[in-house]
Amino acid sequence: MSATLWVWAGIGAYIILGLAIAMMARRQLGMGLSEFFLANRQVGGFVSALTYSATTYSAFMMIGLAGLTYYSGVGALGFELTYLCGMFMMVFFLPRFWLVGKKYGYISPTELLSDRYQSKAVGATATILALIFLVPYAAVQLMGIGFLMNGISQGAIPVLAGIIIATLCAVAWSSIAGLRSVAWTDAFQALIMILVSAAVLGVVVSALGGFASFFGRLESEVPELLRVPTATGDWNINMFIGLSLPWFFFLISNPQVSQRLFIPKSVPAMKRMVGGFFIFGFAYTLISVLWGFSARLLVPELENPDLATPSLLALPIIPMALAIVVMIGITAAAIATIDSILLTLSSMWARDIHKGLINPRLSEMGELKVGQWVIPIMAILAFIFAWWAAGKSGLAFMIAPLSSAASAGLLMVVPTIFGAFFWKRATAAGAIVSCITGAAVVLLLQVTGWKPLGWWPGTWGIIICLPLFIMVSLLTKPPRKKAEEFMGYLQKKLKEGHFI
Amino acid sequence: MNRINKLKWAWAWLVFLVILDIIIPWFVLARVERISGAFLFWTIWAAVAIVSAFVIFLRWKEVNQ
Repeated sequence: MSATLWVWAGIGAYIILGLAIAMMARRQLGMGLSEFFLANRQVGGFVSALTYSATTYSAFMMIGLAGLTYYSGVGALGFELTYLCGMFMMVFFLPRFWLVGKKYGYISPTELLSDRYQSKAVGATATILALIFLVPYAAVQLMGIGFLMNGISQGAIPVLAGIIIATLCAVAWSSIAGLRSVAWTDAFQALIMILVSAAVLGVVVSALGGFASFFGRLESEVPELLRVPTATGDWNINMFIGLSLPWFFFLISNPQVSQRLFIPKSVPAMKRMVGGFFIFGFAYTLISVLWGFSARLLVPELENPDLATPSLLALPIIPMALAIVVMIGITAAAIATIDSILLTLSSMWARDIHKGLINPRLSEMGELKVGQWVIPIMAILAFIFAWWAAGKSGLAFMIAPLSSAASAGLLMVVPTIFGAFFWKRATAAGAIVSCITGAAVVLLLQVTGWKPLGWWPGTWGIIICLPLFIMVSLLTKPPRKKAEEFMGYLQKKLKEGHFI
Repeated sequence: MNRINKLKWAWAWLVFLVILDIIIPWFVLARVERISGAFLFWTIWAAVAIVSAFVIFLRWKEVNQ
């Protein structure tokens, strides 16, 4: 059987399996928004950890991070581990989100902001930013799948075909199932991802003569990839900060991730979620980076670094069956990430825009219907962006920088989130002005490609956004009563649970 | 140590880790083109961050809702 037929067979198997899992989960689906978008806040620790991992780590890691490592070396490891270190903030934010989520029944992280600041406009502003900036992020998942299928089939399957398949699957999965099925699918897929990617790394490293020989070859053949800044100057400290800063706060800035902080069913489940995610993330990061390095040794001179992983999987040393399973694993993880983004955006639109601003009398079922309409609309927008970006070349159109660019815009909500939990003096006006101004700066710099002083858009955005948030808050009136009640409740419960 | 002091120390620890993240690979190890350079540093650095998070969250207890 040819490589193309193997790929199509793999895709077919994945679609059937995905549909089966989605339908199984649907049988357990109850009524209501909390059930559909949060699995009724009753997800166990093991599934929470794996769904969190699969949502966070997707096509970006095995395609984007491996490509960035191939292109620019060890700085990519530092960038991704800086993100993982940012997850240390889980010890602050997970208990806080979880406790207030249960107490006040928040569906979306932006609803939390609306309530805490006593202003629907705050939640609506954060929702609009998410709608703008998460489209490119969902698009890079689609691009990853397109590149992957194209590479493994050795060009027989066009990139566009992969993008179309992924878009259709994402819309189907999220419409059928809600979070419950997404979580189950994620858990299954995350296990496949980590096990099979480790197996491929084992095959590749053994073909290179073991780890000692692999590292020896890196030091002798591409030593410039082992230091920062790189000899070519591409990977300099401004780029490192520009990429790392938005991702350091990914935990709270990306609503599809922070919404996951509402779902564990208990404190032991939260502990398993954090611990499991850290172990998964650490292992998966190292595997992805080592893939990128090994691709540089085995398939040098690639024009598009994002093809490093597909080219590696197409090598004769990788058994075709293994390559197909990896392809399915990456495809599934990418689609799971898009599912989560679509689900979260739809919940935010329904709760924070439609019910919050347009029709406050909307029933819960009405909200659910509105949310489900948003899913295909956002998917189409992501598809168009992916189609356009997949035809471009250069660093700005690589998967990793595009992903980070999306997070740069979402970074502008971070001061508002910190203020919600840690600063009683924070105000709605401060939140709105800082979010809008910061996001406008980021968008302007991203669209024009201008980097004053060599600093990236996210860096400039936060430099402007943070002081604005503080100054405008100090000049306006805070919602003291709500702040006292919100933080008072947290203080009491944090002490009770030995949280910090 | 009370909860607020623990919170302050945890934030300070995170800031310290971020400072190391910039200074060591970008300045101290900037000319080291070996696996034992930035690659090893970032691997150990992340492991330390993860272990310190475990030390904190393993003490969490169930709360009444």
